[in-house]
Amino acid sequence: MIDLRPVLWGIGLILSLFALAMAAPALVDWQARDPDWPIFLASGCACLFAGQILVFANLQVRTRQFSVRQGILLAVFGWITLALAGCLPFRFGQLHLSFTDAIFESVAGVTATASTQLRHLDQMSPGILLWRALLQWIGGIGVLALSAAVLPDLNVGGMLLFRSETARLDDRLIQRMRRLLSGILTVYLCLTLLLFLLLWIAGMTPLTALIHAMGSISCGGFSSSDQSIGHWHSPAIDWVILLGMALGGAPFILHWQIARGRWRQVAGNSQLRWYLGLILLAALAITLWLVIAQDAKPLPALRHSLFAVTSVLTGTGFATWDWSRWTGFPLAILFLLTFVGGCAGSTSGGLKIFRLQLLLANAKLQLRRLLSPNAVLLPEFDGRPVSEEIGESVLGYLFVYILSFALLAMALSLVGMEFAPALGAAAAALANLGATISPSLGPLASFALLPTAAKWLLAAGMIFGRLEFFLLLALFSRNFWRN
Amino acid sequence: MFCPEAGGFLFDLRPVLFANGLLISVLAVAMGVPLLLDLAIGGGESRAFAASAAISLFIGFALTLSGRGSGPFGLNGRQAFLFSASGATLAGLLGALPLMLGSRHLRLIDAVFESISAITTTGATVMTGLDQAPAAILIWRALLQWLGGAGVIAAALLLLPMLRIGGMQIFRSETSERVELMPTRLPRLVGKLLTLYAGLTLLLSLALSLAGMNALEAICHAMSSLSTGGFSTSDRSLAKFSSLAGWLCVIGMLLGGTNLALFVNPKRGKKWRLLRDTQLRWYLATILAFALLLTFWYWAVVGQLPQRAVEQAAFQSVSILSTTGFRLSDDVGWGGFPQVTIFVMSFIGGCIGSTAGGIKIFRYEVLFAISRLHVARMLHPHGVFSVSFNRLRLPESVLRSVLGFFMLYFVCFALLSTGLAIVGLDPLSSLSAAAAAIGNVGRGVGPVIGVAGGYHALPDAAKFLLAIGMLVGRLELAPVLVLLLAGFWKD
Repeated sequence: MIDLRPVLWGIGLILSLFALAMAAPALVDWQARDPDWPIFLASGCACLFAGQILVFANLQVRTRQFSVRQGILLAVFGWITLALAGCLPFRFGQLHLSFTDAIFESVAGVTATASTQLRHLDQMSPGILLWRALLQWIGGIGVLALSAAVLPDLNVGGMLLFRSETARLDDRLIQRMRRLLSGILTVYLCLTLLLFLLLWIAGMTPLTALIHAMGSISCGGFSSSDQSIGHWHSPAIDWVILLGMALGGAPFILHWQIARGRWRQVAGNSQLRWYLGLILLAALAITLWLVIAQDAKPLPALRHSLFAVTSVLTGTGFATWDWSRWTGFPLAILFLLTFVGGCAGSTSGGLKIFRLQLLLANAKLQLRRLLSPNAVLLPEFDGRPVSEEIGESVLGYLFVYILSFALLAMALSLVGMEFAPALGAAAAALANLGATISPSLGPLASFALLPTAAKWLLAAGMIFGRLEFFLLLALFSRNFWRN
Repeated sequence: MFCPEAGGFLFDLRPVLFANGLLISVLAVAMGVPLLLDLAIGGGESRAFAASAAISLFIGFALTLSGRGSGPFGLNGRQAFLFSASGATLAGLLGALPLMLGSRHLRLIDAVFESISAITTTGATVMTGLDQAPAAILIWRALLQWLGGAGVIAAALLLLPMLRIGGMQIFRSETSERVELMPTRLPRLVGKLLTLYAGLTLLLSLALSLAGMNALEAICHAMSSLSTGGFSTSDRSLAKFSSLAGWLCVIGMLLGGTNLALFVNPKRGKKWRLLRDTQLRWYLATILAFALLLTFWYWAVVGQLPQRAVEQAAFQSVSILSTTGFRLSDDVGWGGFPQVTIFVMSFIGGCIGSTAGGIKIFRYEVLFAISRLHVARMLHPHGVFSVSFNRLRLPESVLRSVLGFFMLYFVCFALLSTGLAIVGLDPLSSLSAAAAAIGNVGRGVGPVIGVAGGYHALPDAAKFLLAIGMLVGRLELAPVLVLLLAGFWKD
């Protein structure tokens, strides 16, 4: 049997930190004379209490050395705990959401998916708005920690590829987490601040600037307006958010390298090149279509399509306007991009660019093998040959991804959703994208009218996608619980 | 320029021409069947068929003669690729002739779409008013499918394993010491299989005529079911006929989607291969699972009578999973679930070694095994694991090619649906039509292509793209893609 004490200790620690974050919305609400502040305070105290109990109850475990299985358990249950704790203000605050809705909103927050089912955001109390932004921002930290410290070790979908970049092999999980918190997290924090300042200068109020800075860097996408970014009608704001999302979808290791002045590593990073290339290519294609087929003006069309492509690719979900009215080609492109996602080591979701690169390299190789069956060919990544095992893991990942998509779409339609919304919502949830790409359920649409069962399914899908499928799948393997 | 000595091509094209010539000649002879039928009943299509047969025969002979080489006939890997791609395309083009020349006067793109849809056993039709269509045309469509099915069965044994596409090499006779699935004497086996195929068709058409169809309808539907094509003789597809006929077609489609080689030699050694074949079990289990889900939907949500719900669900899941595409009714107004299910099932397909399209059950078995392997490796990074199929260990190369196939399949699907969206289809139709074409299912969902003869309304460019998609899917992706690879033409 696995020793659960370090896991509980870890969850307690996470929960305590999470509780401290609740002080921020409490403070904001208190200052705005909004009656919600005691709720945040009470929820914070409850979480802190529960967290401290877990920490102290498991304090006698001196070894903080997490095994593989404990790491998986910590990731899975840490996330679920955060989702449960985060729903308290939604459930008991002024909003009085039902349990399902509160959980949905909270899961959408901590997985940085940010598909919302709240309406009339513009009139909502500042505390709740800040809380939603904070949830996704904290979720973003979790994603970064996961992709830098846990996934490479487990080789989830070929993430082994990135192990050498993040840390030395002999490092233990906690040490690596610490180094991560000092490095990548500093970058995360600085970028948030930078975006906050830029948005403030571009004309947002400080609170909305903070909310959108957090939303874009974490690739979340909760906005403070029902019209999302379209509310401001400001190209400057559009460009800043665009920049924020693009930064959020790029590897944070690279941002760290840039900060330390190591430009050469950035230039040699093929994943980044593909990422930017894909954004430009898709945006240009959509712009061309809009200009030719719908007589749009080139420059605004370019801005809107760049924004839409970046938002979808990074799994953010901000929208400058309702793309679902772009029928046909742009919608098809955006739908397919949903599955691609941003770079590994970023806060984005989806398949991730490096997997796409490996998959295409593999497919090309397969064709060459058909021609020369006896040649020894290995796929390459960044000029280095990639082992057979990594290639297999990536393809296994693709299979599980597509299988989960099919099952989730079927389940959603079984509980009453139509064909296109079911497909769009399933793809969006698994890729942690807040906006649904479908003709009838657009990026500005609310999930409020969905059946209750669909909300639960989507919430499960978000967590499944966030944990890169295999972390959760491992729990269902018989081997996991055996010694 | 077709001479190898002239430089440019480093491989001999003559065997490819020769094989194509033979194929076209067979097609020309097959045109005699509707011709004779038309002469017998006086349908007025005889001139079209006679002219088409003459043209085909001429081309066939010309190719055969120009490709005739000295020494025994044989194809190497590249030639086999080229033959499978060119043969299917050529047969599709020539098969369109009677449809264009006949009384229906289909436009070129429509006729080619219809013919390629038949030869690839897809069954997506652009023709409406089938109930009043001439008998010769109907039998020709069915015959094209049937020949396409026969071609697939033969190719699955003779060509594809040689090409090592998507793990097909495990069916290769040379590797039978590793994975013994097929008897070694291939040509005899192919003969047996085709006899079985013909016998089953005959049996099914007899049964269908007993169930109330007339002779023409019975033969057409029997051919359509066993080849997992999906062309019907009525716009209403199977809804026109009795429920018994529907169930008989279910059996036919079910058989069409299985690996017929299992029936040729059912007892091997002391073990019943039928019972031990994991692919067959998975195939049946998948069908059962989808049928149960759909039954639940039709019964509990739509509110149909239990008997009708079971019938409809069984029919639908077998029809799509075997990639036939017969319809018992339109899916309009029954909510999203049947639509999503049809879409998802289009990607699954039947067993390998059958006439069905799609990714195929065998590859899913391997993919599941690889995912389990991945989880196991996560938990035990230093463990040594392997994947097995039918209790035999699969070599690494098979895993690789199955995974490559899966990836390529989705790349093709994404490209095709994007292309369809560019030429003006709505998102739902472009996704569904792309899945139905590459999977050789033929039946799409949605208000445009989900209804009878719905493909008729598509723009010409979409029909063209879909015809290419069908060929790509039927040829298991690789032949067409390899032709695109620059390295294929060099050395």
